[in-house]
Amino acid sequence: MKRSALLRLGTAATALLLVTAGCTKKSDNDESAATSRGPEQVKIALIPGGAHPYFQPWKDAAATAKTELKLGDVTFNETSDWDQTKQNDVIKSLAAQGYNAFGIFGVSPENINSTFEDLKRQGFAVGSLASCPAGDVDKADFCLSTDTGEAAYKATKTAIEAIGGQGTIAHLTGNKVDSNTQRRIEGVQKAVDETGGKVKVIQTVTDIDTDLQSAQKAVADLLAAKGKQINGIVTTAYNPAVAAAEGVKQTKLPIKVIAIDDDKTILDGIKDGAVAGTVVQNPVGQASVGSYALMKLSGGCTIAQPGVVIDSGSFVVTKANVDTYDQERQTKTNELKTAFDGQYLVCK
Amino acid sequence: MSVATEEGRTESAETVRKPPRIPWWANPRVGLVILLILLIALFTALRPAFLDTKLTLVPLQSDISVYLVVGLAQLMVLSLGHMNMAVGRMAAMSAFVMGLVHDQLGAGLVVSLLLGLIAGGLLGALAGLIISRTGVNSFVVTLAMDFALVGLITILYTSVTDGVAFPTLPAGMDALRFDTFADYCLGDVCGPRIPLVVPFAVAAALLVGLLFRFSRLGREMLMTGANIKAAELSGIPTKNRIVQAHALSGLIAGLAGFLLAANNGAFSASIGGEFLLPSFLAPVLGGTLLAGGAVSVLGTVLGATLTQVIYKGLNLLQFQLDQLQLYIGLVLLAALSLDRARHVIAERRGAKL
Repeated sequence: MKRSALLRLGTAATALLLVTAGCTKKSDNDESAATSRGPEQVKIALIPGGAHPYFQPWKDAAATAKTELKLGDVTFNETSDWDQTKQNDVIKSLAAQGYNAFGIFGVSPENINSTFEDLKRQGFAVGSLASCPAGDVDKADFCLSTDTGEAAYKATKTAIEAIGGQGTIAHLTGNKVDSNTQRRIEGVQKAVDETGGKVKVIQTVTDIDTDLQSAQKAVADLLAAKGKQINGIVTTAYNPAVAAAEGVKQTKLPIKVIAIDDDKTILDGIKDGAVAGTVVQNPVGQASVGSYALMKLSGGCTIAQPGVVIDSGSFVVTKANVDTYDQERQTKTNELKTAFDGQYLVCK
Repeated sequence: MSVATEEGRTESAETVRKPPRIPWWANPRVGLVILLILLIALFTALRPAFLDTKLTLVPLQSDISVYLVVGLAQLMVLSLGHMNMAVGRMAAMSAFVMGLVHDQLGAGLVVSLLLGLIAGGLLGALAGLIISRTGVNSFVVTLAMDFALVGLITILYTSVTDGVAFPTLPAGMDALRFDTFADYCLGDVCGPRIPLVVPFAVAAALLVGLLFRFSRLGREMLMTGANIKAAELSGIPTKNRIVQAHALSGLIAGLAGFLLAANNGAFSASIGGEFLLPSFLAPVLGGTLLAGGAVSVLGTVLGATLTQVIYKGLNLLQFQLDQLQLYIGLVLLAALSLDRARHVIAERRGAKL
């Protein structure tokens, strides 16, 4: 009986080991090289890190790109669930189904380069969208993303202006163990340092972008503890922005809130004066221009400077331009497309 | 390999009276194998890409390897009827030590791996020590440890590295990530398309299997799990066994952390974040009792394989997020019900003896 148990374990292990049918020939091992594909053969997958309101415009942008560029298919898959392992799985599953160009928001900027490298080895076109890998190296063909440090800097400058050039501000943001968050914190600090001590960061609250409830709780706690000492709140993540706009409105504290993105709550807040301003990003541009570039790369174009980092733009919106900012964003998107054609892509 | 409390009897007793065996069809492992075959057939019929070697089968084997080892880490303490809620964070701490030793001291792959495993083992031993000395429930102790480690890991990574991961990897990690045995050839014949991480998991499974099957230590752990008072009265140092089981759990969790770092390409703070649920799913699906005293390594292999096959299949079918979670939840519910049913059978069987 003891022997049979070992035998069973051994058989299972062998079965697992031989699941891919024994030895191979050397000639089978060649890496697939990049091939030129016509637009109708290009199947693009847009893969965010997980479900988040920021990425919802990608869905429509994907559908538009498919019809406008006459692509084979463009799919949007948000099942990565903020886990790099799951995201890698999603990517490989899509590749197995014939998707051959990838626009990816990497869950973990530290690990994502190896995923990009993996895809590039197999001859796929890869764009890092809405977030660039951590460090100075980008193994994707290009990175089209908001310059998060720059956006945080702009938001803080607007906040400092709104509070009259002196006082204290609080910074609410996302996952601390994410290099983008680190860049945001640096961006806020840079703007604060420029005031020469007139403005101070009273508190930086991180890890509250997972869902709206945790952001609301954190804002309520912050306002209860330090509400009277705070002159301005800078938010550089979506959920804290919505929560801060609501929280300040409810408590009627004279705090100037600078939000991020253009959720309806935030735009309404700007219109009725509860929110001083917001910094909007360009998700539609990332998805549409990203898809365009991926199509071109799949069609035989190459990138002039592999791994190039391109800012997709960030725009300060206040009461003055709340009705017209989308035109500015559209202009930037068109400029990006032109820049890809003239500057970033090399087509024969 | 299944119910190990029956192994304690002497040969003469075995010849006198054999316990009534569970019929083969009630064996959860057989059920798993059948389910696995059916699912693979179903997924292949719906999506032929399921059998694509490079894009499906090779990554699938890497994933199974990681989650098998995670399951084994939990299995070690399940043998006592304990839980290790900090399994993910022990993996993360181990991975941190591996990254640190390589990054700061320039150690190679083997040294980094060994030191990381030792760190995981020590953390597990600490948990076991607290549990055995204070008598506090393992759930509470390891949950508290998990909370403490979440904070500690963030602090450590931000103080030692610029961001949240070590920028470099020991030489050889890239090979573990990208290569299969097919990349290593003797003349014109190359190995099978099996990722290099698979042997780590197979070795871990074999060692754990041998431990519970043949070693006195393993059996005494199971006895402790089955009935701690009876074990104590039989002269088993139960407190030591608790510490040892937790230490081994931590060590194996460290190995899982290493394999995930190899698969994902970095020693980062996020390692282990998603380990908790799968760590229970694989052993429990395979027939390990949550109540302790009975483990199944083969079942854990099948459990890990089944969950990854389901996950891969649903991914290939492009289920939306909510559907994916729904089905994974249903699998978990079914697994727990199955565990309960098995528990009842095991109890009835015990009563007959």
